[in-house]
Amino acid sequence: MMKRVLMLLIAALLLGGADVSAAGTGIVIDGSTTVGPIAKSFAAYYMKKTGVAVTVSESGSGNGAKSLINGACDIAAMSRDMKPQEIAAARKMGVNPVQHVAALDAIAIIVNPANPVRGLTRAQIAGIYTGRYTNWQQVGGPNARIVVIQRESNSGTQESFKTLVTGKASQITRLAETQASNGAVKNRVSTTRTSIGFIGMGFVDSSVRPIPVDGVVPTVESVRSGTYPLWRKLYFYTNGVPVGQLKEFLSLSATPDGMRIISELGYISR
Amino acid sequence: MNLGTRKVLDRSFTSLGIGSIVVMALALLVVITPIVYNGLGAVFFQGTIEHRKLLQDEFHRGDKAQLEREIEESGRYRMEAYRMLGEFEAELEGMDPVKARQYRMQLGPVKTALQGLLGPIPGEEPGILTRFRYGQTRWEKAEEKLHELLYESKWDYSDPNVMAKEYFVRRAESFEGTSLLPLFSYVEQNAEKMLLPRFTAYWGFLFDKSVDAHIFGGIWPEIQGTFFLAIGAMLFAFPLGVVAAIYFTEYAKDNLFTSMLRSANSTLAGVPSIVFGLFGLAFFINTLKVSESKSVLAGALTLAIMILPTIIRAAEEAILSVPKTYKEASLGLGSTKWNTIVTVILPAALPGIITGGVISLGRAAGETAPIIFTAAVSVGSAIGLADVLSSPTPALSWNIYNLASEHEMASEIRHVQYGMVLALVSIVLLLNLSAVLLRARITKKLKG
Amino acid sequence: MSGEVQKESSRSQAFVVSESRRKMQKVARTAGETVLLLIASFVAIVVLFIFYFVAVDAVPYFQLRGFTEFFTSTSWYPAGEPGEFGALAIIYGTGMVTLGSALLAVPMGIAAAVCLSDILPFSVRQYAKPVIEMLAAIPSVAFGFFALVILAPLLQTSGGPMLMWVWWILAAPFLLLSVIVGSDLLTTKIEDPLRRKRYATMLQALFGLLALLVLYVVGSRLNAMEILTGTNALNVSIILSFMALPTIVSVAEDSLQSVGRELREGSYALGATRAETLVKTVIPAASSGILAAVILGIMRSLGETMVVWMASGNSSHIPEPWYNYLEAVRTLTATIAGDMGEADQVTGSARYHVLFAMGLLLLVISFISNLVSERIVVRQRKILSGQ
Repeated sequence: MMKRVLMLLIAALLLGGADVSAAGTGIVIDGSTTVGPIAKSFAAYYMKKTGVAVTVSESGSGNGAKSLINGACDIAAMSRDMKPQEIAAARKMGVNPVQHVAALDAIAIIVNPANPVRGLTRAQIAGIYTGRYTNWQQVGGPNARIVVIQRESNSGTQESFKTLVTGKASQITRLAETQASNGAVKNRVSTTRTSIGFIGMGFVDSSVRPIPVDGVVPTVESVRSGTYPLWRKLYFYTNGVPVGQLKEFLSLSATPDGMRIISELGYISR
Repeated sequence: MNLGTRKVLDRSFTSLGIGSIVVMALALLVVITPIVYNGLGAVFFQGTIEHRKLLQDEFHRGDKAQLEREIEESGRYRMEAYRMLGEFEAELEGMDPVKARQYRMQLGPVKTALQGLLGPIPGEEPGILTRFRYGQTRWEKAEEKLHELLYESKWDYSDPNVMAKEYFVRRAESFEGTSLLPLFSYVEQNAEKMLLPRFTAYWGFLFDKSVDAHIFGGIWPEIQGTFFLAIGAMLFAFPLGVVAAIYFTEYAKDNLFTSMLRSANSTLAGVPSIVFGLFGLAFFINTLKVSESKSVLAGALTLAIMILPTIIRAAEEAILSVPKTYKEASLGLGSTKWNTIVTVILPAALPGIITGGVISLGRAAGETAPIIFTAAVSVGSAIGLADVLSSPTPALSWNIYNLASEHEMASEIRHVQYGMVLALVSIVLLLNLSAVLLRARITKKLKG
Repeated sequence: MSGEVQKESSRSQAFVVSESRRKMQKVARTAGETVLLLIASFVAIVVLFIFYFVAVDAVPYFQLRGFTEFFTSTSWYPAGEPGEFGALAIIYGTGMVTLGSALLAVPMGIAAAVCLSDILPFSVRQYAKPVIEMLAAIPSVAFGFFALVILAPLLQTSGGPMLMWVWWILAAPFLLLSVIVGSDLLTTKIEDPLRRKRYATMLQALFGLLALLVLYVVGSRLNAMEILTGTNALNVSIILSFMALPTIVSVAEDSLQSVGRELREGSYALGATRAETLVKTVIPAASSGILAAVILGIMRSLGETMVVWMASGNSSHIPEPWYNYLEAVRTLTATIAGDMGEADQVTGSARYHVLFAMGLLLLVISFISNLVSERIVVRQRKILSGQ
C-alpha cells in the first residue's frame, strides 16, 4: 500500500515537471526586489501569450548583475545603474551589458497611518535618517521615539534613497532597523506606530501612509511633472542588443498592455 | 533544614522538571496550532463564485454549466448594483461642476472597493493583472472588502501631539440625497447573493501552479522543488553515508587517524547551515561550476554535505546495535567479512539506517539557508527532471521566507504563506512519522 | 543433482586455497578497504574543503582591510564609499541572542532532561519523547515565520502584559520557595522547637510580604512597558530557545542515563530525597555530559539563520543600555544571508569578502566548541568507565 502511494507520488513528480519543461528554452530574469513585481507580472503575461517559460528570481540588484555577467540569466533587473566595476567585469567575461529603462519609480517615504505628522522636508528626512532627530516631536509630530526602518545596506532602493535624500557620503544612523525588501519595510511600518520607512511607490497601499515630501505627495502626475523629488529609473540589463523573444519581452514595457501592467502595479511607465 | 522544607524542595524540583516538559509541549502546541489552523484555511474555505470562475479560466476545472447558471444568478444582483452606479454617474453629469468634482473624488474609493469585491465593473476596461480581473475569491476576504466599501477608514489627526486613532465613517453619509445612497445597503444585504460563497475544498492548492505571483493558485512548483532538492541530496549522501558508517564500525582501527575522521564528522554536523550555503556558492558554483548559477544540482550537493553526518551517525548506531552473535555466527560459518556485512549486518541494521535516512530527508527538505545562494528562486514554473542540472527551482522553505517578507502583498496573502508552512511542516513531520513506523514494521518483519 | 555435487566440491576446494589466490584475495581486500577508507575520509575532506573555500574568500578581506576594524568598530556601512566594515555590533548581536536563548533553554533543558531520565514513569516518557523529536524536526523557516507573523505583532500590541504574566508565573513560585527555605535556614540554630516554629512563621510572613512587593512592583513596571518593535532580540531568543531545547534535552538525558544506578541507590540509602540525590549526586556525575549538551544547544542557536533573519530586526548597533533585549539586533548569520544577494560578487570587493570573513568566524567558533564538547564527552566516558 505504502509502496503504491510512494510510486504514485514519484510518478506525479516526474510527470508534473515534464510537461512544463517541454515548452522549450525560456527567459531567465534575476535581480532587484523592486523591479520584481514588474518582472513577475511581465513574465506571467508573456508566458500566457507565447508559452515561453520565464523564471524570475528576486535576489537583489548585485546578484542580478553577477548572474548576467556569468551568463546565468538573460535579463538582470536592477534598481540602480550598473557600476563601472561591474561593467568592466562584464567586458572581461565578454558580456556587453545594455541598459533598458523598464519604468520609473518614486520612492515614497511612509509612516504608520496613526502618525499625525503632516509632511517632512528633505532636510528633515535626512535628519531622521542620519540620527539628528530621534523623536517625532522634533519634526512636528507627537512625543514618541522614531523607529527608523531602512533597506539592506546594499540594495538599489537604499542607494537611490541615499543619493536623493541624505547624500551619498553621510551615513544612516546605526539605530536603523534593516529589512530585506520593500514588502518587509511596508510590513514593519504598518505594524509599528512610530516608525518611518521608504519603499518604492508601487508597494504603497492603505496599510501605510506616504507623506508629502517638501509638500508634494508622490503620485504618477507629480513624478512625471518632476515636482516630486524622490524618483529613479528601474532597469533591465541584457547582454548585447536583444533579439528574438528577448526583444519581444523587453518591448512589453512600451506596449499598451505593458504600460497598463506597470501602472496597475503602482509604477510609472516611461 | 527540617524535613518539611526538604520535602517542599523535593516536590518543587519535580514540578520544575515536569513544568519544563510542559513548556516544551506548549511551545510545540503554540507554534503548530496557528500553522495547522490557518494552513488548512488555504485548502478549506468559503470560496466565492470568483474562485470558481478563476479555476475555470485558469485550470479548466469545475462544472461549466453550473458555473454559468451561477454567474447568471449572481449577475442579476450585480446588475442592480451597477445600475445604481450608472444612474449616479448620469446624475453627476447634470450636477453643478464643483459639487460633481467633490462627489467624483469620493466615488473613486467606492468604485475601487466595489471592484475589489466583485471584480471589474462592466463597461470599464478590466485590468491585465489577474489580481484585478477577479473579485474576492475567499468569503472572509470579501467581508473585509465589504467593510471597506461601506466604511471609510479615517484617522483623527486633530492633535499633532498624540498618535492618531482610527475611526470609521459610513460612506453612505457622504452620498446622502443622491441616487448612489441605496447602493450601500443593497450591496450589504445582497453581498452573499452576488458572490455565492460555498464551502470549498481547494485541493488544487497543492497541485496547481501559482497564478499572478501567488495571489491565486497553488504551490506545486514549490512542493516539487522541495522534493527534487531533498531527494537529490539523498542520492548523494545516503550511499556515501552508509559506506562511511560501515568503515567506521567494521574496519576502522582505534587510532589517531580514525578519531580525527570522527572529529571531522562531528565538526561537519556542527557547521552553521548558512556556512554550507557560502561553501556551496564558493565551491560548487564558483569553483567547480557544476552550473552557471543557482541550480537544483548545486543545492542538492550542498544539502547532501549538510545531512551526511546525520546519516553516518544513524547508520553507525544501527550497525552497532546489531547483536555481535549475528556477526560471529556468520564468520564462524566461513563467510568473509565483506560477505557478512552485506548479507547479515546490513539487513539487520536496515531499519535503523532507513530511519536515519528518512529523517535526514526531512531535514534536507526543511532547510533554507544552504539553498539561498545555491538553488532557490522566488517565482518560476515547475521544472522538469531534465532541467535539474542547470535550472534553479522554487522551494517551499525559501518561498515561505520570500512570500512572508519580500512579497509586495505579503499581508494579503497570509493564507498562502500559512498553507506553504503547513505543507512544509507536514512533509517533514510525515517523513519523521513514517521513519518511526517503518522502523517498527521492519523490526517486526525481521523478528518474523 | 549434479549441480549440487559440483557446488559441494567447489566449496571444499575453497578451504585449500592456492598461494596465488590467497594473494589475490589479499590484494582485493586491501583495495576494498582502501576504497572504504577513501569514502570514509570524504567527510574529513569536505571539512577541509569547507575551511579552505570559506577561508580563501575570507582572507582577501583581511588583506584589504586588516583585522582591527572588523573586530573593534561598530560602523557597518558596507555600501558606503568607501565602505566601513565594523562587525562588532553584529558579533555582539549574535552573542546577545545566543546568550538569551541559552538563558531560557539551558535551565529548562536540564530540568526536562532530569525529569525524563529520573522522575517520569516510563509510560509518560513515551509520550514526552515524540514531543521533543517533533520540536527538533520543525524546519527553522517555520519557526521564523511564527516569530515574524505571530509573535512579533503580539509583542508589540501586548508585550507588556505578556511579560508581566511570564514574570508572575516564573518568579512567584521561586520567591515563595526562597521565602520558605530562607526562613527555615535562618532559624535552624534555635534549639527550642516551639520558639523555632514561631520565629520561622514570623520570618515567613515578613519575607512573604517583601516578596509580594517585589513581585508586584516589577510586575506592574513590566505591564506598563511599551515594546516599540516586536522584531527584537527577545523575540528571537525565545524562538531560538525552542530550537535549542531538543538538542540540550536529548544529549543531557543520554549523559544522565549513563550515570549508574549504584550512585543513585547509594544516595537514597543515605536518606537523601530524590531532589537531593539528583542535584548533589547524579547531576555532578553527569556534569561534563550536560556541559556538552549545553554547548551543542548554544551552537544550534548561534548557527541559526532564518529565525534571526526574519525576526531580529537586523539593525547593526549595540542596544542601549547594553542589556536591552527589546531592541532590534543583527547577527552574523542574518548578515550573510541578507547581504550576499546584493553584494557585487564579480568584482571581488571587500563587501563580498567580508561576508566570508563572517562565515569563517562562525566556522571557527563552531569548530572550537565542537572540539571542546567532544573532549568533554570522551573524558566523561573515561571517568565513568573508570569507576
